[in-house]
Amino acid sequence: MEVAYFPGCSLHSSSELYDVQCKSVLGKLDITLREIADWNCCGATSAAKVNDFLALALPARNLGIADATGLAEIVIPCSSCYSRTLVAKERLAADPKLAAEINAELGDKVSGRIKVSSILEVLLPKVRSGEIARKVQKPLAGLKPAAYYGCLLTRFPSTVPVPDNVENPQGMEIVCRALGAEPIEWGLKTDCCGASATVNDTAQALLLMAKIMKDAIARGANCFVTTCPMCQLNLDAYQEQVREKHGIRARLPVYLITELLGVAFGMSPGELQIDRHLEESVGLLKELRLA
Amino acid sequence: MTAGALKVESAASLAQEVARRSGQNLLACYQCRRCAAGCPVGEESGVTPDRLIRMILLGDTQGALDNLLVWKCLACYTCGTRCPNDIQTARITETLKQMGKKAHLEPLLPKVAAFHGAFVKAAGQAGRFNELVGMGMYEMQAALGEFKRGGLKAAFDEVATQAKLGKAMMKKHRMHIKYESVKNKGEIKALYRKAGA
Repeated sequence: MEVAYFPGCSLHSSSELYDVQCKSVLGKLDITLREIADWNCCGATSAAKVNDFLALALPARNLGIADATGLAEIVIPCSSCYSRTLVAKERLAADPKLAAEINAELGDKVSGRIKVSSILEVLLPKVRSGEIARKVQKPLAGLKPAAYYGCLLTRFPSTVPVPDNVENPQGMEIVCRALGAEPIEWGLKTDCCGASATVNDTAQALLLMAKIMKDAIARGANCFVTTCPMCQLNLDAYQEQVREKHGIRARLPVYLITELLGVAFGMSPGELQIDRHLEESVGLLKELRLA
Repeated sequence: MTAGALKVESAASLAQEVARRSGQNLLACYQCRRCAAGCPVGEESGVTPDRLIRMILLGDTQGALDNLLVWKCLACYTCGTRCPNDIQTARITETLKQMGKKAHLEPLLPKVAAFHGAFVKAAGQAGRFNELVGMGMYEMQAALGEFKRGGLKAAFDEVATQAKLGKAMMKKHRMHIKYESVKNKGEIKALYRKAGA
């Protein structure tokens, strides 16, 4: 199965490991990713704070390119890119005048044909079909992830079809259980970790991360799992500061969903580049005899 | 905080402008405060989404443009998702930031404004966001701001904090020196031109 693929800037820079993992892990599920040509930055959280037109026009250009591939579906692993692209698709469909205004500047016009999917929307059918369970070589016994969705997988600035429960999504837990892990139940799975504010309103972001960490720890999690590279980097790179500032002793590795899939499929942490996390994240896997 | 007195003339024009730009029907707010209960920065801002809407409806232009919620809002969309009348206040804070800039107001949290401004600028130059370039642009502005407000020590602290993280990222090969750009920069430039950005 071939699917169009939008990596976005994060997966081509600080979270390049997620790009590598998406290709290899989804490859094992017979999903071939075709990166769309000459894509641009989606504008992320920043564009909407600076210019409303750009916040829709930037992801629209990528949609036009994706529509031109003729493929049925595009997978966007980064939550921010996914949210901005899905919002642009729906807003342009609802506003033909705006669509015409944007299309006038584009070589590949937006037709709105292609389905915009998060990585969970690509994985869940593979759980239902049993393909994921069949590929598991090392069940993730003893791994108790707090599935962390963050903001942008289920909450949108305008009406879009949301493929999971808005307040209590379950997609990641379903994938984790198929891998033999024991995801915890907790209430902060869709709370904001403040990733867009960590460098510019640091104390606020550290406070939000502390609340999230404390709840995950209190409920018995031994790690986080997320699909969002922004949340992953934030909770990973700033965890030391969060622990220091808010008196938290426990450490929680922050795994990307593709890392849990890869480990369960028998891939090594090195192959998956889990050793590139800022917090040491291979030790727990070794302790549980998963690496 | 108190909501202040109604200013009839400015109330109509302010509410209309915010509603038009943000696409949100502010008049539907009946102050149930579900947004306030869910706002992750409400406590630290001293203003919650319902209070912000109230300020706009009362015509308090200064209060609406110049409060911490506008600058601390993370666009997590919790308020709008829980609003029984579908008012997305994050769209309103996005709008108020843009209106404040148009009115040449000094941002209450200059580093927040500098960050998002640098991000959009960097993304426009190359068509892609190169972290070293974007963060460099931001740091220059943030450090300069800190210098103006708190002197050399404040500017140094700002740079040192980011440099510490940068060093840790380098060690894990998470910083990319590689510069990526879109081939068809003409299209990106055209979109920025049309946006007036």
